[in-house]
Parts: sequence; structure tokens; C-alpha cells
Amino acid sequence: MSINNFSKVVIVAKDEWRYWLRSKLAMTVLAIGLVLTLASVIVTAITMMELSHARHELQTTSDKSFVNQPDRHPHRMVHYGHYAFRTPSPLSTLDPGIDAYTGNSIFLEGHRQNSAMFADSRQGTALTKLGSLTPAFIVQTLAPLLLILIGYSGISRERELQTLSYLLSQGTSGVTLIAGKGLALLSVVGLILTPLTVSALFTVAAGESLLAVVSFVVGYALYLTVWVLLILLASSVFSKNSGSFTALAFVWILLCIVMPRVASTSASTAVPSAGKIETDFAVKAQLRKLGDGHNANDPAFMQFKQSLLKKYNVKSIDELPVNFRGLVASESEAKLTNVLNKFAQQRMQAELKQTKVSRYFGWVSPMVAIRSLSMIVVGTSIETHHRFLRETEQLRFDFVQGLNKVHVEKLSYQDDMNRNASTEATKQARVSAQNWQVLQNFTFNVDNAQVRAQRSIPAFLQLFIWIAVLLGGIKFVGRRLL
Amino acid sequence: MSYVFSQLIREWRFLLRQKYLVILLACTFAISGFAVFSGLSEVSQQQHTIERLKTADLTELANVQNKYSDAGSLAYYSFHLTYSAPSNLAFAALGERDIYPWKHRLNLLALEGQIYESDSQNAELAQAGKIDFVFVISALAPVIVILLFHDLFANERTSARHDLLVTTAKSYFALWGARIAVRLIAVIVCLMLPFYVGTFLSHSALADVGFVTFICVIYIAFWTLLSVWWGKNANSAPRVASTLIGFWVLVAFIIPILGDLVINKTVHSPKGGDIVLTQREAVNDAWDLPKKTTMDAFVASNPQWKDHVDMQSEFEWKWYYAFQQVGDEKAGELSHAYRDAAHTKYQLAGIVSWFSPPLLLQRSFTRLASTDALAAFRYEYRMRGFHKSLREFYYPWLFIKGNPPKAALKSMPSFKKTMLNETDEPDVTGVKLKENL
Repeated sequence: MSINNFSKVVIVAKDEWRYWLRSKLAMTVLAIGLVLTLASVIVTAITMMELSHARHELQTTSDKSFVNQPDRHPHRMVHYGHYAFRTPSPLSTLDPGIDAYTGNSIFLEGHRQNSAMFADSRQGTALTKLGSLTPAFIVQTLAPLLLILIGYSGISRERELQTLSYLLSQGTSGVTLIAGKGLALLSVVGLILTPLTVSALFTVAAGESLLAVVSFVVGYALYLTVWVLLILLASSVFSKNSGSFTALAFVWILLCIVMPRVASTSASTAVPSAGKIETDFAVKAQLRKLGDGHNANDPAFMQFKQSLLKKYNVKSIDELPVNFRGLVASESEAKLTNVLNKFAQQRMQAELKQTKVSRYFGWVSPMVAIRSLSMIVVGTSIETHHRFLRETEQLRFDFVQGLNKVHVEKLSYQDDMNRNASTEATKQARVSAQNWQVLQNFTFNVDNAQVRAQRSIPAFLQLFIWIAVLLGGIKFVGRRLL
Repeated sequence: MSYVFSQLIREWRFLLRQKYLVILLACTFAISGFAVFSGLSEVSQQQHTIERLKTADLTELANVQNKYSDAGSLAYYSFHLTYSAPSNLAFAALGERDIYPWKHRLNLLALEGQIYESDSQNAELAQAGKIDFVFVISALAPVIVILLFHDLFANERTSARHDLLVTTAKSYFALWGARIAVRLIAVIVCLMLPFYVGTFLSHSALADVGFVTFICVIYIAFWTLLSVWWGKNANSAPRVASTLIGFWVLVAFIIPILGDLVINKTVHSPKGGDIVLTQREAVNDAWDLPKKTTMDAFVASNPQWKDHVDMQSEFEWKWYYAFQQVGDEKAGELSHAYRDAAHTKYQLAGIVSWFSPPLLLQRSFTRLASTDALAAFRYEYRMRGFHKSLREFYYPWLFIKGNPPKAALKSMPSFKKTMLNETDEPDVTGVKLKENL
């Protein structure tokens, strides 16, 4: 495109802005759009900061109360358990993603893998079934509608007022005209994205990587560009304003409101996953074979006992230099964790498969594409949640085995066996509270930005393809504009 | 009569010739059909899950009863399935069942530690939301109606046919009335037909179907009247439509979102985590407290066992379960406040929904289908009642009678048998359940 052509494009764009400034509707819509985006950015930022703060505090309290427990039998501490909290990633102020649905704390205890608890949605009002005041929702769903309201008549208006043939005969090519209108709409996109970009840049100060911030903003820019192109195409194709408006409104409701739900519903129908309670039966059946770690006399541990006697070269477990009950607890915890992890892994795989199916719908709806892109880049997608589950599981296993080690080394087998004989014996079967230092500091960090960016590649591709196809369509229509 | 009929036939032909209207109606039908189909398959999945769980649960229980014979171990290892089966109408309004749990397995241990477990589905799918019939009606139908009716007059005006049509038409009805009637009937049929197939397949009660039809028709008529009235004197169809869609965005998104914000700021609720933490601390501390402290606290709320709390050894199951219950009671106030807050939020949301027709429709629909928060509260309430009946079954054996004979296990409560009636009001864990139903 030559300089001359480019200046023509700018003139068209300026003219379009002049038209909008005169139109009450366009100005109202623009104002509403900006207010909504700003409000959502502020409200969500405050909420997430509060959450982040609260979780930090809860984590500290929970760590403290674990360490401050009195002298006890070490196995009591295994059951006392510990909490892990997921602090939200800095960028999640812009897209809280699945946070409200997964819950963000998990209770860790011996012999069990709990699910994350206290999803906030259980204290919800059911008012936000259609959408919530998050920047992600506003920009993904409402911004396209605003763009439609402002831009639907871009070309069809010229045609209806019969200024189109005049413009074309004056030497402005169809493509230049469309490009000018497009530039004007893109400047609106820029306006909408400004609050988003500014607050995204702020998260860099909070430790977010620049790569994530850039992918986030670019993703949204691409997404809104798709809508700009859709609007230009419809406006060029339809001969009347009303036709282009109706078509765009209908396409919007299909792509933004219907498709995400169709995607999730199809995914859960296509890949049904058994719930936790149901898999628990299978887990229990496997666990029964391993024996009860609380019962050192369980026949399942006979072989283990023999191998220990051989290892230490003694005749009976009383002669062992270590506490046999503790060893059994430790051995059975390890085996049990293997089984639990196998099932947990299966469950996560099934969930990933479901998510994959729903993400395929990004080829059909740019809204689905940006939804996954946004959550992935921010670190509030299912992958991050799985990571949280895996890391907390490691934490659980480490502290339980740490306590079991104390059980093995610091508590004599005789004292342990007599623990229920009398009040004195119970007191005897305790270890000092100093042993509760087995906890490691737990802080959850989302995947690093490269990993997140890598995961978002398919979604980026989907948006690029949308743009390429639409550009092709516009070029085709632009040449035949009349 | 034949006159009215011929007018309708004419308009019907006119409608079929307008390609974009036909596409719009076809899409509407397809979306509604998909919503009903997926709703039906979701409900049948839930029903099958419950059936499978019931069988597995019984086998598991029989295993436990074979392996253990003392009341303490039996109570520790026996889990009992509780569930809330989807209603016949649930396919059309899946409601809150993806957020609130509808199945749980409970044992005699402290209830507050068990009841908040959620057997949640894929969170990313839950976040996107599900498409069900009530969503199609409440959220989509208004836009479809707006697109169908906004240009009724403006379209004719811009085509310069308006005045001619008005002067040549025999009456107001013959022209506009027939046109409105035909479009209204077409959109209602496209939206509701899949629903009726669904009700037939799911054996829904006729009264429910009638009521749903009634509210849906009223709702669609409301949007139709609004669109027609607003578009009456307009020249520019898009301007009419954009105002109407703006109104729709206001009532469907903005008002509910603001309402949610206000409600969450005004109603304070204890953190769910605090309840479990309190209960947990109480239970764990009990191991180190003097037995008497626990038993005194237990007897205070369960005086009928006061003569049977003496202990012969350092560990007895009755003491173990007593401190489990004391743990529940310690968390009782918090837990109660948590439920109260949820109730208050539900009620306030009811007020907000009066300003948002789509929400009002969803609310009345999910209430009818028993898939709303109230139904979930009711299920929790039933679980509490069931847990109470478990205690009532086990305590005599634990405190007085010792090992239950195998025959006695037959009278062990099951969730199905002890399912409470809507009006029952058991007091649970020492705190009288106050329900605003």
C-alpha cells in the first residue's frame, strides 16, 4: 500500500470517528464500554488482592498451628494434617478463571488425598450464571457486542445513503474504504484494551513475567480484531444496515453465548468422567490388598516383617533397633500413595481430555479460543489446578513420611505397643513437639511463562486462522464492492 | 373464521420466503433441540451414576460387616451413600447441581469434616456453564424475539411499503396482527417443541409441563410486546434493535452482576475453611485432653448417656465418637452461620431477580425442577438428619450393649429409608436447624 493510499485510509478512519462523535448511540456505547471495563478491572483487582492476602495469612496460621502442637504420638500428627492454600497468580486479577469453581485450599492428611475444598461458588447467589464482572468476561463477551453496535453500519450505511458509489467513483478503492473503517474500529479496540493493558503491566511489578503479559494483551487484541473483521465483512456483504445488524447480532449470540456452552456440554458428553466417589470404590478395593497400616499384625505385612528381621539379623520384632509400627506405617503410606496417585493421574488425564475436546471448539468460535488462551496464559486453567494438586500431594507425602520417620526413630516399639495401657503409658508414647518441624514452607507458583505460552499456541493458531480467513473474505468482497 | 385463517396462511407464506427469518428459526430449533438432548443425557448419566453407586455401596457395606463385628470398627469402616436424584424436569433446568454436590458417602465420624467434600466435575467445563432448556429460553429467546420483531414496521417503512400496506389492509389485525401471530407461533414452536419431546421421554408431570408452558409463553410474549411497541414509530430498524439488545444486556447481565456484587458485600459469612479447621482442631485436641473433659461436653448435649461414660481403658470407641460429635458441636455455630448466610444470599437474589426477567424465569424454573440452591440445602439437611439417625443407631451399642449381633445390622439406617419429609425438623448436632423454606 503506497503512502498515498495509507493517508486515504486515515482520512476514511477520521471521517468515521467524526460520524461517531455526532452519533448519540455510538458515544453512549463507547462510554458504557469503557466504564464497564474499568469497573471490572478495579473490582476484580480488589477481590483477588483480598483473596491473595487472606490465603497468605491462612497459610501462615496453618503452618504455625501445626508447629505449635504439643508433644504427641507422631501418628496423631499424621491425622492432625495440614492445609495448603493456592495463592492466585498476579494476572488472575484480569481472569480469575476456574478459581471460584475449584476452591483454593486443600486439607492434607495421612492415607487420603482430598479434593480442593470450599469453592466460593457454593456461597454464591446464582446471579452470575450468565457472566460475572471480570475483565475477561467483559472483553470476551460484551466488547464484541459494543463493537457491533458501533460498527455494523460502517459500509452498509454508505451504500444505503448512496454515498458508496460516489466514493468509489472518486477513486477510493473498496479495499481502502474497508481498511479505513477497519482502522477506525481498531482504534476503538485500542481504547477498550487500554485499561486491560495498563493493569496487566502493573502485574509485572508483582512478579509476573513480561512474556505472559504480552501474550495476554496480544491474545485479546487478536480476538477483538477477529470481531472487527467480522463486522467489516458483514457490513460489506449486506445491502442494508438492518441486514448487517441482524446478521451480526445473531452471529454474536451464536459465537459468544451459545458456543462456549455447547463446547463444555459436548465435552462432558463425549468424554464422561467418573466422579471421585465412584472411583473411590475401585481405589478402596486396591487398598484393601495392601493391608491396614494402622495394624502392624495385618497379614499383608508378613513378608515385610520377614525381610526386616533378616536385614537386622534378629529373631523377633522386639529386638529390632527401630519401631516396627512406624516402619509399617511408612511402608503402607508409600504403597497407598502409589495407588492413590495412579487413580488421581487417571482422573486428571480424563479431565484434560475433556478440556481438549471443549478447546477444539475454538476453531468454530473465537470466543472459545480466547477463553482458553486467557486462562492458560494467566494460569487459572485446569492445567495449573492439576499442578496445584500434584504439588500439594508431594507436600502431603513428605510431611506424612517425615512424621513416620519420627515414629520409627524417636518412639520405642515397647512404648508404642503399650500406649493404651494406662494414662502414664499414653504419656510415655509421645515424642517432643520439636519434631513437628517436618513441614516445608509451601508456596504455590503457577507454571513459568514459557510453559504457559507454549500451551496457548493452539488457541493463538485458532485466532490467526480466523483472521486469515476473514481477511481473505474481505479482500474478495472489497474488490467487488458496490 | 376462514378469513382469519387466510390472513395467517398469507403471512406464513411471506415468512417462509424471507430467507434470514427461516435461518434464524432453524437455528433456534437446533439450539433448543441440542439443549434438551444434552439435558436428557446429563440427567440419565446422573441417574445411572446413582444406580451404580447404590449397588457398589451395598457390596462394600456387606464386606465391612463380614470383616468387623464390634460396633466401633463397623461405624468407622461403614460408609453410607446419600444422594439427591434429579427430578423428572431436571433435564430442562440443570440448575446448581454442578456446583452443589448431589452425592456423598458418610460414616459416623464428625459430619462437619465430611459434608463440605465436593465430588466436583471438570472445573473448566463448569466455568463455561452448561446449555440447558431454561438457558435457551431465558437468555437466548429474548434476542431471537428482538431480531424477529424489531423491524416489523421499520422494515416496511424503509422499503416504502408501509403507507401502502396500511391503507390497503382491511384491518389492523389483518396486517400486523397476523404477521405478529405467525412469527410468535413460529418462534414458540421452534423453542418449545424439543422441550415437549423431552418431557415425554422423561415422564414429567403434566401440571409441571403446563406451568412451564405458561411461564415461557408469558415471557416470550413480554419480549414480543416490548419489541413491537418499541419499534412502532421507528424508521431505523438497527436503532430499535440496539436499544432492545441494550435493555436485554442490562437485565440479563448488568443488573444480576451488580446485585451479586452488592449481596456479597452486605452478607457476611464465615469462611468454609474455618468450620473444618475448628472441627478438626477440636477433634485432634481431644486425644490429649482428659477424657472427662470430652465426656462432660458430650453429656451436656446428650444427657441420656450420662450413666455410661466411664472408661475402662485409654482407648474406647464410645469416647472416640463422643469427641467426634463434640467437634461437630464446636463447629456448629459457625456452620450454622455459614448456612444462614447462604440462605440470606438466596433470598436477596430473589429480590434482585424481580428486576431481571431472565433470572426470574430461571429461578422459578429451577425451583420447579428442584435443581436450585434450596434443593441443595434440603439435601444437606437430609444428610444431617441421616447422620443423626446413624448416631442413634450406633450409640446404644457403643455405650451399653457392645457388639451388635449380625441380625441387628439389618435395621441399620439407610439414606433411602430415613429420607426425611419436607416438613420434618430434626435438631442436628445440638443446633436447631432453622430453615426458611
